Amino acid sequence: MTIPRPRGGWAPLAAVVVILAVLPVVGVSERWLLYIFLFFVYLSIANMWNLLCGYSGLVCLCLPAFIGLGGYTLVIGTWVGLPTPLGIIAGALVAAGFALLISIPVFRLKGIYFAIGTLVVPEALKYVFFLWRPVGGALQGGGAGYVLKSTDGFSTTDIYWLALVIGFASVFLMRFILSSKLGSGLAAIRDNERTAAICGIDVFRLKLSSFIIAALVTGIAGTIFYLRQAYIEPASSFSIMWTMMAIVSVIIGGLRTEAGPMFGAMIVVFLQFLLSRYAGYSLIIQGIILIGAMLAAPQGIMGFMGKTRSYRSLLQWVRGR
Amino acid sequence: MTDLADLATPIVMGVLLGGLYALIAMGLSLVFGVMKLINVAHGDLVLFSSYFAYAAMALLGIDPILSLLMGMPLLFAIGFVIQKYLMKRAFGISMEAPLLIAFGISLILQNVQQLTWSPMARGLTPAYALESFSMGPFRFPLAYLLDFIAALVVTFSLREFLRRTYLGKAIHAASQDKRTALLMGINTGRVYAFAFAIAMATAAISGVFLGLTFPFTPTSGVSFLILAFGVVIIGGLGSMVGTFIGGMILGLAQTLGGYFVSATAQMLILYIIVLVVLAVRPQGLFGRKERT
Repeated sequence: MTIPRPRGGWAPLAAVVVILAVLPVVGVSERWLLYIFLFFVYLSIANMWNLLCGYSGLVCLCLPAFIGLGGYTLVIGTWVGLPTPLGIIAGALVAAGFALLISIPVFRLKGIYFAIGTLVVPEALKYVFFLWRPVGGALQGGGAGYVLKSTDGFSTTDIYWLALVIGFASVFLMRFILSSKLGSGLAAIRDNERTAAICGIDVFRLKLSSFIIAALVTGIAGTIFYLRQAYIEPASSFSIMWTMMAIVSVIIGGLRTEAGPMFGAMIVVFLQFLLSRYAGYSLIIQGIILIGAMLAAPQGIMGFMGKTRSYRSLLQWVRGR
Repeated sequence: MTDLADLATPIVMGVLLGGLYALIAMGLSLVFGVMKLINVAHGDLVLFSSYFAYAAMALLGIDPILSLLMGMPLLFAIGFVIQKYLMKRAFGISMEAPLLIAFGISLILQNVQQLTWSPMARGLTPAYALESFSMGPFRFPLAYLLDFIAALVVTFSLREFLRRTYLGKAIHAASQDKRTALLMGINTGRVYAFAFAIAMATAAISGVFLGLTFPFTPTSGVSFLILAFGVVIIGGLGSMVGTFIGGMILGLAQTLGGYFVSATAQMLILYIIVLVVLAVRPQGLFGRKERT
């Protein structure tokens, strides 16, 4: 089990990691750190959506369920005295366990039915957490959400590093999966499910494993996000906006490419940064970009750059002006 | 009062409410049946119509139902444009492209509505929306009865349209077998555009009646989309009568769930029903298994 070497060796990558890691120590402004933090959380979620939709052929709209469950497990954990590191692990396990549970009904569904079946799940959970208050701490009555009781010694900088870890881990995880047996199995399924099954690939098991891996990683991303946010409530944690963010990142960057989610998440975070005072406008623009990118360059930035002919015609177009 | 008489209220309310749900689901069912596309922007397009009627009422003082004279052509045109210029190309790209484009439309509409109308809940409240009518010893809101009548009218006219007119038959043919329809000289591209446009016109109607019945916010689109989807799933694909019955079932499930369990849990009950039906019988209670 070896992790494949990144292109260009380890040195540039190590340099990037070190630079990003020391940013909070050398006194970069809070605002910048927040956006880098968001980028890595988004990156890990977008990577998982890419794994599901791009590589496993599962148009999954239930990522908010894992994010919310992870976040809720962590926050409620602090109320019952669970240490934060254990809370993060518990959040990941709850999300993965839930994925296993809902895989029973939703994996009976195919294609578009699967998409809608998974869309219902976070909406149902939203109502569950509106109605259900597992532990005390009456904030403002039912469904009003929870504040994080204590950060357990985790400073903002620590949380930033955690986001860095999960972001890079998700990138390496994708590399690892794609070069493993799971990855080649998934590729075979994506090309032709029936043929893959005939060749002895256990289609159900492979899809299920990528579903659960995705739940695990998004669950962790959710705990880290809500550790920083320090407050969780059902409407935003199970919000369809998380799905939207992942889809926009992956589609803009390039579905089924490894670097795609990275470019996409960068653009999404950059838009949020530019339009931070007009949250609504940022989402409208993301919607327009999504439609535009889907129609003009269905393969996203990576696909677009890959197709040299269209790249050349773009250059010509730029020169022609 | 006996238990049985107590039950009469939720049952009648459920059936009448079912009319509204069927109405909302009609457009989704048509698009789903013809193009095999789940228009995830459906809920937001329905809300768009609610807000259009609200604007007409608040700014020009036009009755919401009368405003449909403008709202229906508007949504018809929007539907035609969406299908002709966005979806048609998306269908050529990949299976998931149309779904994602619908997602983009939903995102845009939701946030435009949020910016224009603020996240506050609104409602269409002409004088008659607050009236009630009596049936035996019970009184029911008049808006619910209007929902039911509108649903009956729309279901019946849509069914007759699909059966009797050339365009209706062409839509039917294109939904059954696109290639054969093409060979028979049907311009499927146009037919699809018209089907989408008609679906949006019914969405316009349902938006107005939705606004008469419930308060709405810019973000309620998702819950109405899931509701409509539940109706379509229960009723089975493409069948207008099935959609109508599916609406009744969900309406009853909601009011009876509210009666027996609790009013706050009624939406949760609906979602669970949708999930269970999806898992047990994805082709719907009245649908036949699709041949692949």
